[in-house]
Parts: sequence; structure tokens; C-alpha cells
Amino acid sequence: MSRGVVLMSGGIDSPVAADMILSRGHELVAVHMDNRPFTDDTPLEKVRDHLDVLQRRHGHRLPLYVLPHGSTQITLMRNTTRHVGCILCRRFMWRSAEMVAQREGATFLVTGEALGQVASQTLSNMRSATASVRLPIVRPLIGFDKREIEARAQAIGTYGISTRPGLCCQAVPDRPATRSNLVQILQEEGKIDVDQILEDVIRKAVVL
Amino acid sequence: MKYSQVRLCSGKGAFEAIPSRRARVDLPAIRDLLQATGREVVDARVMLIIRGQPEITIAADGRLVFKTQDAGEAQRAFQGILALLEGFRERPGRDSSGF
Repeated sequence: MSRGVVLMSGGIDSPVAADMILSRGHELVAVHMDNRPFTDDTPLEKVRDHLDVLQRRHGHRLPLYVLPHGSTQITLMRNTTRHVGCILCRRFMWRSAEMVAQREGATFLVTGEALGQVASQTLSNMRSATASVRLPIVRPLIGFDKREIEARAQAIGTYGISTRPGLCCQAVPDRPATRSNLVQILQEEGKIDVDQILEDVIRKAVVL
Repeated sequence: MKYSQVRLCSGKGAFEAIPSRRARVDLPAIRDLLQATGREVVDARVMLIIRGQPEITIAADGRLVFKTQDAGEAQRAFQGILALLEGFRERPGRDSSGF
């Protein structure tokens, strides 16, 4: 049995991914990137309710790290090219999760990504995003289609929570890049102080 | 600037108003005016977020988002912000730059 860190958004996919890994007997620590003011309070409320469901199914509660992400989004919007914003955002999520993993002695990262579901989930974008971290990334849902994921979410009891009304991420650009080039992404990232941002994120983390 | 209607957004957690035609709003000028009137404004360069109840987002293309699930509250906030936006001259719409 090993320990991993799962990124939980409040959406349909991440609790299903977490449930699959927990079902294999692994331990997980949850990380939620708090995207306010680009969303509202509902994603965090959903994540907490998802963790209640997972606790009932697996008998223990996952620790939850809530990491501020709104200020990072503001920095990205002010300083980088808009349509690669989703990839740069994901790179910060991965880095933040990896820092939590180091603190928690976790050896892998988990996400609910499935190929082609949204702009950030093309192969080239996944590569550009995950090149920011060294830990292995486990994607239990990678080949599933949306209906399969929804069916699993309904079966484990998280679907109704995920589909409650909530504000979508307003930081998503009108035309997000679907094919990214890592060299260009790194050039964009060179416009901001990555280490300083991550230091702030971890310093302001709240563990629930 | 004309808006067709204030409607629930796709996530059903907020209301939004979309301009009838593409536009660019003068966000720095609106930010300065709001701050001069004591409103707390988050400036993300491509959008402004006005703190309060409800919290309001003004995007550079004129899209407005009202973070409330109360239709009446959203409508009242819309009327308030519309008066502000109409005080600024629109710039012609343009495509975002490539990468």
C-alpha cells in the first residue's frame, strides 16, 4: 500500500478517480485548488461532501489541503498570453500537489483527467502541464468516456453532489489552446516568479 | 452597449449577461471609477471582479457575471452596472492575438 495525492475539483471525475485508487487499498490525501474569486464557494463545498461519501465507502477520512489559486490566476492573466492560461494553471496545480506530496510522504499524484473531455485534456496539453512535476501521475479515467464516468459517479453516490448548481471557472479563456508547445509554455512561464507564487500558495494552505 | 437578457449561466450557479454584439470595454477606466466610489475591485487585466453582494465580474468583451442564484438580485445588479457601462464609449471588437 502506498500514499498518493489526489486533485479534487468538485466536479464529476475526481471523486470517481479517488474512489478507484482507494478501492485498490492505497491511501490518499486530497488537494483542492481554491479558485475564488474566479468561482464561488460551491466547489469547496462539493469537495467536502465528496470526501464524506468516500469516508462512508472506505472507512476513513482523507485529509484535505485547500490551496489558494485565485491570486495565481490573477498573476497569469496579468502577465501571460491568455489562451495558454489553462495549461499554465494546470502546471501550478501539479506543482502544488507535488509539494503537498512531499510534505505528506506521498509517492504519486492522482487526477480525474480523461482524454479529450476539455481543452486542457489533450495529449499535448497534458504533457505540457505535467512536465512541471517529477512524481508519477495516475489517471484511472484516462480512456473512459463521460457516460462511463457518470455511471460510476452515480454508483458510488457522488454524481448528485457534483451536478449541484455552481459557477464555472471564469478564468477559462474564450479560445483555450488545445495543442501546446512546451518551449512556448516555458517562455510564458518565464514572465512570472514561479517559486514566489508557490511559496505563497503553500504558506496560505489550510488543512481541513 | 446592449444586452439581450440576464440568464442563468451553464453551471446554474450564477447569472450572466452577454452583449448583443462583440465589444471591448475600457476596464481600466471602469476600475478607476469604481475604486473612486469606494468599491473594492480585483483587477485581473482581462476582467474586473467587483466585491460585494452579489460579486460581479466584468470581462473585457463586455460579458457580465453576477454571483448569485437570486434572479431578482442579479437583475438589480445588472441595472446598476449597466448605467456605469453606458457611460463609457465602446471600442470596436477585435480577435484575441495568436500564440
